[in-house]
Amino acid sequence: MNAALAAGIEEQIDAVLAAPTFSLEPAAHQARLLALLQSELTYAADRNERLRQYFDAWPSDYGAAESVAELPYLPVRAFKATPPLLLVGKEAIIRTLASSATTGQTPSRVALDAPTSRRMVKGVAAIASDFIGPRRRPYLVIDTAETLAAGGQLGARAAAIQGLRPFATEIVCCLSGDGAGEPRIDESRLADFAAKWGKAEVLAYGFTSVIWEHLVKPLCKQGIRLQMPNIRVLHSGGWKRLQDQAVTREAFAAGVAEVFGCATDRVLDFYGLVENVGVIYPDCAYGYKHVPAFAAVIVRDPLTLRPVDAGQQGLVQVCSVLPTSFPGFLVLTDDIAEVIRYDGCACGRRGISFRFVKRVPQAEIRGCGNIEMLRQRPPAV
Amino acid sequence: MSDLLQHFESPREVTAAAQRLRERALDLELTPSQVIDILERWGESLRGPKVDAIPGVAFLRLWLRRGTLEPIVVRELGIEGLNGEWREERTARLRAYPLGVIGHWPAGNIEIQPLLSLCCALLGGNACLVRVPAGLVVQTRALLEKLCELADGRALLERICIASFEHERADLQCAMAAAVDGAMIWGGAEATTQIRALPFPPWARLAVFGPRLSVAAMDGASWSGGPDRENWCRRLARDVWQFDQQACSSPQALFLERCAGGDLPEFAATLAAAFEEENRLHPRESIHPALTSAICLARASWLLDDSAHRALFPATPDWTLLLGAGSTVPAPTQGRTLSVLLVEDLLEPIARFDGMVQTLGLAVGDDAKEAALTQAAGRNGVDRIVKLGRMHVFGSPWDGADLVRPMVRLVRHVSASTD
Repeated sequence: MNAALAAGIEEQIDAVLAAPTFSLEPAAHQARLLALLQSELTYAADRNERLRQYFDAWPSDYGAAESVAELPYLPVRAFKATPPLLLVGKEAIIRTLASSATTGQTPSRVALDAPTSRRMVKGVAAIASDFIGPRRRPYLVIDTAETLAAGGQLGARAAAIQGLRPFATEIVCCLSGDGAGEPRIDESRLADFAAKWGKAEVLAYGFTSVIWEHLVKPLCKQGIRLQMPNIRVLHSGGWKRLQDQAVTREAFAAGVAEVFGCATDRVLDFYGLVENVGVIYPDCAYGYKHVPAFAAVIVRDPLTLRPVDAGQQGLVQVCSVLPTSFPGFLVLTDDIAEVIRYDGCACGRRGISFRFVKRVPQAEIRGCGNIEMLRQRPPAV
Repeated sequence: MSDLLQHFESPREVTAAAQRLRERALDLELTPSQVIDILERWGESLRGPKVDAIPGVAFLRLWLRRGTLEPIVVRELGIEGLNGEWREERTARLRAYPLGVIGHWPAGNIEIQPLLSLCCALLGGNACLVRVPAGLVVQTRALLEKLCELADGRALLERICIASFEHERADLQCAMAAAVDGAMIWGGAEATTQIRALPFPPWARLAVFGPRLSVAAMDGASWSGGPDRENWCRRLARDVWQFDQQACSSPQALFLERCAGGDLPEFAATLAAAFEEENRLHPRESIHPALTSAICLARASWLLDDSAHRALFPATPDWTLLLGAGSTVPAPTQGRTLSVLLVEDLLEPIARFDGMVQTLGLAVGDDAKEAALTQAAGRNGVDRIVKLGRMHVFGSPWDGADLVRPMVRLVRHVSASTD
């Protein structure tokens, strides 16, 4: 491995992290990212023979690419591989993040070394502070302490909770449970927190479905309303459970605002995935998502895999320069998004703005050649 | 046409439609030969801007000829069966009678399948209630409109009802199953399993086609060079492209027998050129995003799984060649993704087939070798062994089963005067 290359990458990542998060001119942003990502792909190819093989099979030479969209990307499900894809020795791994796979599915796993972990914290902090301000404040975790107490392997919920720790002066978890059954709301702890901080600026975070199932629904049922008008409620995670109950985004925000006694614009949805460490995509005041200086988003037409025009939908590719312990630089997700515009959102943030549309529906009819279910049959005894 | 294409909202409507079909079929008996006469004229009429663009129509025109259909009937029902006559069998005589109303559940991936399926049942003298997947309603309608234009088309149209309702409507699916006397079911694992579980009457006969996959194989002489290699590659590309590689007869893997002078990268380049040309002639107009994801995953997984693996693919999801070695059929990706695997002997992968393989497409120069491969494939569950380029040619038997015979009853008459 070329030590000079690694050192150069480290230096460049730090420079990008130090740059203004959402105000780079798009062309300059792309040029800077392209050069860094090309170096990172070379770094990855040097460290992982099979990745080099993948890059070699790519229909174009990434070294000659003129845009980030031309660089070789990995599909998100490649991170479900066992053992996880690594760019560093196992001894350097300090933590593994696992995605929130639904029952029966294999979660993605990404391994973090100390530098990647450090950048992850910096990245999330840079983005979040642009939306909620940099000040530290009391942090209400709408989850259980057990979720937070995970050891070397951190789930998506815990990772998101931890990502907002730099904004916390104190942390209170308002759900209780041993992890075996469904978590329950700890009403006295929540009441104490509300009484203590009342109208102060407070940060709250929870998984979307957890907030709805274990906070909003029980409090509404009991007629409990808190008076926390200055709370900021951030939430992320899948909408599937809520869609199954026909809960819209508007209904969700209204429900959360009602129980906390705040305005609906204090409720902030963000998109993120563990494979895209250090990057979260909160909604701006106009309801759109933006990309920080150390990342990129490309929305690709499923028919051609070329970037779509503004106003069109496609498969989301997330890009980040932050990881160096695993190859999470360029990841094609199983999500569909719509590009709103490539620059000029009224919120003032530069670059692409987009909105999440849905997960790619997997229930596809594939005709008489679809033997998928039969292939899952147990071996004959 | 309004009577022909019906959107059902209630189980009662389904039951009533089936009853009407049964009555009309009982009113007038049609022999297979009479049905073939009308089908042949229908086939000839399948031309024009609305139908020419439907994939498979050229094949349908050929298939509906008497020269194609009559041999099927004669083989399955006997020469007497062609004209609805009794066949003498020692002290008794036999004659084919229709089951009654046949329910058809065609797969959503083959545009002409609703018509192929119903023609098989019509040849047996049956009436047909066809649940057409939402994506095929327009094409099916366009093809049946041509039958409406024929002077004698009415005789068949009276026996056909095209049912349109949502796949998720379990009540309508149940009503349709309960109202029929037989069923022809086509599709993937999930669909066929669900339909088979519907409450059919105890006497109903079910013919299930699919789910299966298919495989191609080339001997050393065919792939290692020579004048035929490009031709074989073109034929294979056509087999892959048709039905977007989603049919049970679509090749998902190609086994190449190792030979002196065989250069896999060189062959892969020739095959890639054939794929590129086929793609130029027949580009995709749309794709399900899940298939795009699956194609991207197949490319990455293949290359990340084994350092000996190689792959060829363009920047688009148009086609993919996954190159390696091994005698196991990999899990299919579809979407024009072909696994190309080197083996020492073509008998190795054939010995591993488990009944899942429907068709084996061969490019083999030596007759004795082909005979040996055919024998081995037949013993290991393969139902069709054909030349590469002809993997989708629909005929009887299909999936190892007759197409007309399962939807008729053979009635045995022993004369009262016989002792």
